[in-house]
Amino acid sequence: MTKACSLPTSTRQRARTRRNPVLAAVVGAVVTASAGASGAAAATAARPTHARSAVVPLVVYSAQGYDKAETQAFQKQFHIPVQLDDNSTGPLLTQIEASKNNPKWGLLWVDGATAFAGLDVQHLLLRGFEPKVAWNSLGRQAVPKDESYVPTGVTLAGAMAYDAAKVSNPPTTWSQLLSPKWKSQVGTNDPSQSGPTYPFVAGMMNYLHGIPQGERFFSQLKANGLLVNPTNGPTLAALGSGQINIALVQSSAAIGAALSDKSLKVRYLNPVTILPSAIGIDAKAPRQEQIEAEEFASYVLSAPGQKVMQSGDPTGDSLYYPVLDGVAPLKALPSLAGVSTQNIDPYVWGPKENTVNSWFDQSIVQ
Amino acid sequence: MTQIVGASSTGAHGAGASSTGAHGAGASWSPARVAERMALLGRPVLWLSIVLLILAPCASFLVLAVSPRLFGQGSQWFTLSYLRGVLSGGSATALLNSVWVACAAAGLGLAVGFPIAWLTGRTDLPGRRFVAGGMWFVLLLPSWLPALGWQRLVQPDGVMYRIGLDWPFVTHAVMGPLGVVLLLGLRSVPFTYLAISVALAGLGQEYEDAARTHGATRTGALRLVAPILAPAITSALAICFAEAVSDFGVASTLAYASHFPLATYQLYSDINGFPPSFSGAAAVGWLLVASVAVPIALQARALRGRSYAVLSGRTRPVSRRPLSRRAKTVAVGFVSAFYVVALGVPGFGAVSASLLADFGASFRLTFVNYRQVLQSSGLSGPLERSLVYGAITASITVVGGFVFATMLAKKRTRSTRLLDFLLLASVALPGVVLAAGYIFAYNQPILSRIGIDIYQTVTLLVLGYVASSLPTNARVLVGAVSQVQRSLQEAGRAHGASGIGAWARGVFPILSRPLTMAWLLTFTAIFLELPISQLLYAPGSPPLSVAIQDNLGNYHFGTGMAQAVVAVAMALVAVAVVLGGYRLLAPVGWRRTGGVARG
Repeated sequence: MTKACSLPTSTRQRARTRRNPVLAAVVGAVVTASAGASGAAAATAARPTHARSAVVPLVVYSAQGYDKAETQAFQKQFHIPVQLDDNSTGPLLTQIEASKNNPKWGLLWVDGATAFAGLDVQHLLLRGFEPKVAWNSLGRQAVPKDESYVPTGVTLAGAMAYDAAKVSNPPTTWSQLLSPKWKSQVGTNDPSQSGPTYPFVAGMMNYLHGIPQGERFFSQLKANGLLVNPTNGPTLAALGSGQINIALVQSSAAIGAALSDKSLKVRYLNPVTILPSAIGIDAKAPRQEQIEAEEFASYVLSAPGQKVMQSGDPTGDSLYYPVLDGVAPLKALPSLAGVSTQNIDPYVWGPKENTVNSWFDQSIVQ
Repeated sequence: MTQIVGASSTGAHGAGASSTGAHGAGASWSPARVAERMALLGRPVLWLSIVLLILAPCASFLVLAVSPRLFGQGSQWFTLSYLRGVLSGGSATALLNSVWVACAAAGLGLAVGFPIAWLTGRTDLPGRRFVAGGMWFVLLLPSWLPALGWQRLVQPDGVMYRIGLDWPFVTHAVMGPLGVVLLLGLRSVPFTYLAISVALAGLGQEYEDAARTHGATRTGALRLVAPILAPAITSALAICFAEAVSDFGVASTLAYASHFPLATYQLYSDINGFPPSFSGAAAVGWLLVASVAVPIALQARALRGRSYAVLSGRTRPVSRRPLSRRAKTVAVGFVSAFYVVALGVPGFGAVSASLLADFGASFRLTFVNYRQVLQSSGLSGPLERSLVYGAITASITVVGGFVFATMLAKKRTRSTRLLDFLLLASVALPGVVLAAGYIFAYNQPILSRIGIDIYQTVTLLVLGYVASSLPTNARVLVGAVSQVQRSLQEAGRAHGASGIGAWARGVFPILSRPLTMAWLLTFTAIFLELPISQLLYAPGSPPLSVAIQDNLGNYHFGTGMAQAVVAVAMALVAVAVVLGGYRLLAPVGWRRTGGVARG
């Protein structure tokens, strides 16, 4: 078990640095003492003898619900050991920023193009790679010009989940949410704590033609009793408990909730903002690891990879709209026919994230 | 015997050391010689460990407030703009809120914890044996769990309203500063209880007897005894303040939902934003560190120039005061009310959330979440890991904590004052600061070039755990250690025991129970620790808290809550095993003389 835990780490370290044997002995003592603490790595460490001289462990930072299933399937097919850091988006980006002088990640897989644009402008992402696949229209819209990240699916920011038992005629436009009819019945997430919510807020500002107009909309929503919870979970719990009757959350969360609570329905108000999930590759990673990351991205967009994505988290992140021709969304997903979608430019809205979130925290949350 | 006694003085006299050394190779590994060498090496090693474990990571983070460029987090080599920024606007409000709330919470913790410790240690309170176990339960719960429980109960359209209690005034009271103080104060109670009960048990009956013999009333005897407990009281207040001011669980749940900003949430927002503002967070961190100067100064003022060593070979066993029927009713009611508020409400919140499969739309109960947890292959690995991480961290920490507590309990010098401040200041810093500081400090390219590459390994994670728990551990042990008179060990030496032997047979039995409690305190804290785990865990080996957070964050709210309930149950089993093991394995004499932390 100890060997299984330490093998990938040391292999990776050999790829980048030479180890100090004395320190290694000291460090090893503690690691050895933690022997039982490394169970999950056992499965990820196995790789065939023929690949040992070439491959290095691929360190995957991911916030996707299907990432365990996907990395396991990739390892099985390509015999490349994967070390998965499965975390929320916030801690993953914090790790990347804190360690950017000496990065240890190989591949990042999270929702939201703005985060990738933010990393790209800091030259932290490998540019010029996109798998050779047949993108559908959603995919084509999501691919960045400099090919610094790879879209793997699409969810929608600000989907409306409502309790059909209490709401027979739900709002059909964004402006209707401001009417007294919906006073104290609407809830959403805090963009400072919920990664997918910033694209929703930015999308509304984009739709309303400017930040001041968007701020006015959310201020009016607040005046109409908007409830703000930290993340999707508590907002949907508030919907379930009856504290609110309408929740504006990420589409996958809303549809997942509707699958377990049949009284909940999901509707998209026009326009709804596209929220791509994407893969970015560390620009400073060893070349071998970058190649493996490219292989991983290509695998995710292959037919078997898409199958795993759609089955790995059936009531959560698997509820996405595919970005490839020939791949149909899961049946639980409402059709996008007749739905007006919009893309926000991540390179325009990414740099505004802190400013917008600070305003939201001080003016809407407080 | 002369030889051994001579060795004992080598710490103070160089000649003694040389004479001991002249005994040749045959005695080179004698306990006395090992102790002697450790004593010589000890202090520099201890300070080095503090520098590496606590000071370097914290400093690496905090320096970003004035020099973002040092770690590539900005273009300025020196700036005061971030520090100026937190002294105004929302940050200043959040900081002021944090300080007064922490003061109030520490006061509430003492007001509730002291009487409970007194009742269980000095009276025949019915059911007193269960009080200590209950305190561990309170300690075990991550602070966000009680906060969510209360929120779930009193929020508009919450459980309280659903069962027909239309009490908006309760909602307003709990969903605001009062509720935040209440929750943080309740969380402070176990710290106070542990510190005070340890001190009370070490305080023999003779002091009260002497007062009563000289005509003092019971109240008068209490007035005599209370000042002797000053180290424990001030230590409890200081640790409660630091724990409350650094708490994030309540800040991010109840305080957040109540629109009552606290500094730790402000700090978290700075770090969690994109791109993160480590410099802004560091500026808030500076002020949090500065805030602990207040309890440190008060503690130093209270204890200046006094000795509180009361535990000796002549310490007399305590006789419990029988309570009248009315007093028993009041006392049991008081203790029960504490547990209902501290455990019943959050327990209800967590368990009900874990039993509702439909996001709480109905009161239909189901075990589907538990089935998922128990059938999921992904749970056992994180659970095992956290058990092992907790055990390793607790074992390292309890040794280090004891050593630091010993240093703090000695005569106050400049270095012990500095140590005291460093330890408490690090408690005041939220775990996420320490974790980010570890990345800045130990993930430098230059370190990688010389082979020190420990970021994203279990080693750095455990070091982070140790650094985060060592200060609290040391503070909890100070009360017990400061009561042990030197005469105990000297008596053993006088009867022929070696230095280590005299300590092991004279002092250790008395401290065995506080040390066991300190071990459990660390174990339980690490078992469900989140911020450090999130940033420092080795990819592929997630600890339990990360696995739970993964579920809560991926919309599997009920499954995550079920996982949390199972985890708390597992931790309780571990606590029961350790306490049961102590009861079964420790000699009767240890339990009698070492029952300084009984409950």
